[in-house]
Amino acid sequence: MSASLAPLADASFVALLEAVPDAMVCIAADGRVVLVNAQAERLFGYKREDLIGQLVEILVPEESRAAHPGYRAGFLADPRHRPMGGDMPFAGRRYDASTFPAEISLSAIDTGDGIIVTAAIRDITGQLRLRELERSSQSLDTFIYSVSHDLRAPLRALSGYSGALLEEYGERLDEDGREYAERIVAVSEQMARLIDYLMQVSRISRGELHLQSVDLGEEAARITAELQSGEPDRSARFVIARPVMAMADRRLIRTILENLLGNAWKFTSGRDDTSIEFGTAPGGDASVSYYVRDNGAGFDPEYAGKLFQPFQRLHPPRDFPGTGTGTGLATVRQIVELHGGRTWAEGAVGAGATFYFTLDGKESA
Amino acid sequence: MTTPTILLVEDNPDDEALTLRAFKKSNIRNEIIVVRDGAEALAYLFRSDRENAPSPALILLDLNLPKIGGLEVLRTMRGDERTALIPVVVLTSSKLEEDILDSYRNGANAYVRKPVKFSDFTQAVNALGVFWLLMNEPVPSHGPEVGIEIGHS
Repeated sequence: MSASLAPLADASFVALLEAVPDAMVCIAADGRVVLVNAQAERLFGYKREDLIGQLVEILVPEESRAAHPGYRAGFLADPRHRPMGGDMPFAGRRYDASTFPAEISLSAIDTGDGIIVTAAIRDITGQLRLRELERSSQSLDTFIYSVSHDLRAPLRALSGYSGALLEEYGERLDEDGREYAERIVAVSEQMARLIDYLMQVSRISRGELHLQSVDLGEEAARITAELQSGEPDRSARFVIARPVMAMADRRLIRTILENLLGNAWKFTSGRDDTSIEFGTAPGGDASVSYYVRDNGAGFDPEYAGKLFQPFQRLHPPRDFPGTGTGTGLATVRQIVELHGGRTWAEGAVGAGATFYFTLDGKESA
Repeated sequence: MTTPTILLVEDNPDDEALTLRAFKKSNIRNEIIVVRDGAEALAYLFRSDRENAPSPALILLDLNLPKIGGLEVLRTMRGDERTALIPVVVLTSSKLEEDILDSYRNGANAYVRKPVKFSDFTQAVNALGVFWLLMNEPVPSHGPEVGIEIGHS
């Protein structure tokens, strides 16, 4: 026995064992623990002197103990490095009899005089919780989508009947009565916009990213051409950098650019020398950033942090009438973050605004 | 000759009332037959005593219906020569891409999402009526004779 334990007396082997992040437990062929590291002591709540010499089953939950020696024998018969348990969830048992889900990887060291099995054990409680969280967040998105969808039907009735009331009985109502009905119409429309936004958010976060090579400049040029043709009388100068290639989801990139360029177009509507620019700039933590710059109404930098929050409008709707719902930039941020990037803005009141975003994610090279 | 009818397949009584009102407001006086689920729709379209009755000029079809869904109704209709050519406009709350694709794949002639805003809703129904009943050239009425042969079986 002393011969088979020779590597365990080797100081460099012991130092190596202490240096790895995982809990390590070394077992002799008879199933007895011969060496553990400090991480194993912490993970299982045992002092090492209480483990050495014990059967390794002391670390196995009671319900799996009976079967465990069989697994040991199986590994020794074919001692290749491999994860333990395959797809089966494994568990460890602490000194206080509590258990935790574990990922265990086994290796064998042939000492020439017997085999030592080392088990690297990792507590995967956190990973499992994260997976659970991801699953429930996905089902929450699905839930939000279906609830929002179902809310549209009664809302359509609310808007419809109050509209019909005004149309057919408006003359028989007095001024107050008409105003009440008009307010019902107005708030049901507001609620419709909220619901649309909720549906959009849940759709974007449920959806998969279809990354492909996209020319952002080409998309920007197409969108600005549409904006101009929608208001042919406005004189505007567009400076669009092309090509600007990026790995991104084409459909979502369009949504980003439509929102940013649409905003630029809207908030320059008071000017006869509108200038809108799309280009690239240094990206800070990312390889490059993309920006949309305009010379329009700008914003008070003090409220810059609110820009990307849903339902926030920094300009009263009467100043810039249009289809604004206060969700455009929130959508932009959501899509950008989905790509692994970030958004920020620079501007001043009356001095235009520049909106930046990056797309660098873990996926991109 | 009687004016062609419209078949409205709609389970939500509010949407039904608002659609009927919108047609009325648009001065579309065609008879509108309302059925409230997919099974009723198919029963109406394939009932035996309508062999020689003219088919509806337009079907407004909701997707999310009790008993038999809208897509199933569409599939069944398109698979039968008697109803294969009737214009079907899917009129639904869904704007899911797969619902739109499935509708077209199964032979829908148009797909319209019910607007929530009252004025938009009225306008949409008006536009549908004007287009399909006035502007669009209907399927020639002798066309379904081909279908009658199939009907022998």
